[in-house]
Amino acid sequence: MEEQELRDFVTGQRWFGSKSRTVSTATIVDRATLRDTDPALELLIVEIRFDTGTHETYQLLTDDSYDALSDPRHIRELVHMMRGGSRIPAGDGVVEFNPAEGLGGAGQELREARQVTAEQSNTSVVFDDELILKVFRRLEPGINPELELLRFLTERGFANIARLAGWYAYAGKQMDATLGILQEYVAAGVDGWDRSLDTMADEAASEAFLDTVRRLGEVTGRMHTVLGSDSADPAFCPEETSSESLGLLTATVDEEIESIFLDLPDDVPELDPIRGRGEEVRERLRLLTNFGGTGRVIRHHGDFHLGQTLWSDGDWVILDFEGEPARPLTERRRKRSPLRDVAGMLRSFAYAASAASILRGVEAPPDWEARAREQFLEGYRDTIDMSLVPSGAAMEKLLTVFELEKAVYELRYELNNRPDWVGIPVAGIMRMLEQEAPV
Amino acid sequence: MSESANWFERQPLWFKTAVFYEIHLRGFYDGNDDGSGDFRGLAEKLDYLQWLGVDCIWLLPYYPSPLRDGGYDIADFFSIHPDYGTIDDFKYFVDQSHQRGMRVIADLVMNHTSADHPWFQASRNDPDGPYGDWYVWGDDDTRWGEARIIFLDTEPSNWTSDPVRGQYYWHRFFSHQPDLNYDNPEVQEQMLNVLRFWLDLGLDGFRLDAVPYLYERDGTNGENLPETHAFLKRVRSEIDARYQDRVLLAEANQWPADVVQYFGDGDECHMAFHFPVMPRMFMAMRREDALPMVEILEQTPPIPEMAQWGLFLRNHDELTLEMVTDEERDYMYEEYAKDPRMKLNLGIRRRLAPLLDNGRDEIQLMHAILFSLPGSPVLYYGDEIGMGDNIFLGDRDGVRTPMQWTGDRNGGFSRADFQQLYLPPLMDPVYGFQAVNVEAQLRQPNSLLRWLHRLIALRKDHPVFGLGTYEALRPENPRIFAHIRTYEDDIVLCVHNVARSAQAVELDLSRFEGFVPEEMFGRTRFPRIGELPYLLTLAPRGFFWFQLRHDEGE
Repeated sequence: MEEQELRDFVTGQRWFGSKSRTVSTATIVDRATLRDTDPALELLIVEIRFDTGTHETYQLLTDDSYDALSDPRHIRELVHMMRGGSRIPAGDGVVEFNPAEGLGGAGQELREARQVTAEQSNTSVVFDDELILKVFRRLEPGINPELELLRFLTERGFANIARLAGWYAYAGKQMDATLGILQEYVAAGVDGWDRSLDTMADEAASEAFLDTVRRLGEVTGRMHTVLGSDSADPAFCPEETSSESLGLLTATVDEEIESIFLDLPDDVPELDPIRGRGEEVRERLRLLTNFGGTGRVIRHHGDFHLGQTLWSDGDWVILDFEGEPARPLTERRRKRSPLRDVAGMLRSFAYAASAASILRGVEAPPDWEARAREQFLEGYRDTIDMSLVPSGAAMEKLLTVFELEKAVYELRYELNNRPDWVGIPVAGIMRMLEQEAPV
Repeated sequence: MSESANWFERQPLWFKTAVFYEIHLRGFYDGNDDGSGDFRGLAEKLDYLQWLGVDCIWLLPYYPSPLRDGGYDIADFFSIHPDYGTIDDFKYFVDQSHQRGMRVIADLVMNHTSADHPWFQASRNDPDGPYGDWYVWGDDDTRWGEARIIFLDTEPSNWTSDPVRGQYYWHRFFSHQPDLNYDNPEVQEQMLNVLRFWLDLGLDGFRLDAVPYLYERDGTNGENLPETHAFLKRVRSEIDARYQDRVLLAEANQWPADVVQYFGDGDECHMAFHFPVMPRMFMAMRREDALPMVEILEQTPPIPEMAQWGLFLRNHDELTLEMVTDEERDYMYEEYAKDPRMKLNLGIRRRLAPLLDNGRDEIQLMHAILFSLPGSPVLYYGDEIGMGDNIFLGDRDGVRTPMQWTGDRNGGFSRADFQQLYLPPLMDPVYGFQAVNVEAQLRQPNSLLRWLHRLIALRKDHPVFGLGTYEALRPENPRIFAHIRTYEDDIVLCVHNVARSAQAVELDLSRFEGFVPEEMFGRTRFPRIGELPYLLTLAPRGFFWFQLRHDEGE
């Protein structure tokens, strides 16, 4: 294959993340022949090098074209190899296929396959509405958190996930990396974000949704409890934070607030409620962080919001444990306070309430957000292992700090991308200012 | 398992935009309550360093050592001093650093070993044995008289007589640190093994201590010899052949024209410290005159594109005055070492804050100048919170006291009994841990620590500071140090007032006519640059950094 051809193919893909950078070379750093009889299938580890000397690594599956994943026969082959636990030598390492235990239907013949690729970083294929294969394109050294967390949760009997059916990975001199995972496909599910919006207009439906939010809190608390339950596994055991952890968090959020209030645009009227009040917000932050610590840190979801949940068969399924895809893998695998996930969901309720009007022209019931928060937190408190979070007032305060951090992040994002949505983080910041001062 | 270094996206020039942070392991954080800092303790504090914006940690020597020279007297190159932990602890720390996007380099002394090193013991006891020729022996102490004595306060000669072998051995530093004999190929090979050993454990490079003195030759002063450069080129090529993204940082306390030779043609060391610029920054502050800085930068030859200067205000040694004239040295002693106890060898053993009379404006201005110069800044632990020193402790211990984390017992450094601590923490009312500590400064938005954090973040937002060209402006007002840094479209104008009084300055910026200077901290737009000289007024010890932007408004 010509280098130029390879380069053009990779840089032309949706999953190629660095379109603004100048590519100097594309090199195949390793390859493995997954199948040498017709239809032949080859796996390539490709290094894209930029003019600055930096590089990124991608996974390609090829037959006589660069994009073998468009051919269902190849995808079936990958699944067969996982079921069979194949080990395929590569030039400088090995590609290992692994089945996960106890997945129903895993032995059946696969019929229909369709690509559902909407994601930036991977290519996904659904089989017969039963299984979904996610092929990671951009490779980073280390185990992918999605695989790591699904395995951990599956092994410990946490039911509210789409179970893992198998995975394949590369181990070599260049790197050890997860290449793809196969998991249960939840066909009948409705995503929590859509469901919240769909039910917003109808009083009875919206009441019914709010009832399920309490369950979502329970599921989340249980998920954190399980993730923090194994002190023997170094990748998961809960850790204490250092004495300056609250100070570091405070300083980080404080500087974010200072920086964003420094140049709020004059021509966005939605900003009026908070304009000129940066010092008040910082003062409030100081009151929230004047004592205590940040509790313990554990592995957690990392990118938790309504869009990562599915309502299926009368219960919630939690999806997508990859973490924030824009962050480096090592950072996504870091332990942090589980309350970051909680804050993410609480902010998601704020977004849902406003999105109903922006996207659907439906006014949310006036107390919808407050009730969703209350329901969620009640459920969460029932199931969370209290040793993982600070107790009592300290938990409230820390949660508010994480919400504030998120709202400030949202404010910057919406100002740059979606000015119509600026009111949502503004309302979040206002809500905090209007709360009674913490003691 | 793949190599730990592969946590990183490959980035051969990472060191050119990096902020370095020098750590005295013994003094940073005690993880096992024995009164002495260690690798486990340091690993607990990595979140702090990551927050601060550190890209690369530089560790002082952590090898087994009798500690008669702060660990620079190495007794075993392949192990860890028991006070600091084990090889496993080291690997854990390096791995944890890499996970946070930080690299780690370590001090390595190639020139000499401790007299306790088994190689030296074998060499003195058995002149005909396998190590007999590993050190530099002589029958008398007359050879190489041209070589200066570096530790003037303690050493009468570079030769010391050894009663065991009945000969003299050569040492450029303390007499308990015999020089290795680099004319012996076995010594060269073993030193390469040392490098490989640590690189294989994941280390990202070395700060090469005392590098100009590896060889001795008749009729020379024994510094910067061609043989030394040839050996360093060999080290570099061995590393390039087997490892990625590693860095060699040379400690060559020499004049710029000599130091640049340590970069070779981009085939020797990646980095070298710029020693002479540092004392001139202090001089400029006292004299309220930018000229000493401007001049030394003018005398600094260009360096290869792949190379970088290491810049610093203070470090673990005395503030060295080797690279100044006698007159300048007298001036520096007069101004900065009023108490004779503050002097050591050819230098001043004090920390940054006390040198600057704890003046907040002065500390900030010095950091701003440091960060604006072409090179990568190297911070010294504790200076980010303005720690002080204790001149009543011996040698250089006064600037190596425990890091001050909190206002609690032992400054939060250790839970051991006070008597067990390797050195007492500072407890005076001005610099003591109750007044100066990380915890308090994290919570004060206007603290030095928080200010420095913002400065580091700003510098990292602009690769121009690490990669850009440097061009001095020579305004008529001598109290103003001003220059322009340019990298691609990023043009930065840095203007610093070294005077104690407010100053006005007119800068000739006519070639930037039509640009608008935007102040980089507050993002305030200043008046558009026109044909006439650009007038600025600066507060006492104040500075401005501007990004010059094309004016899109008109």
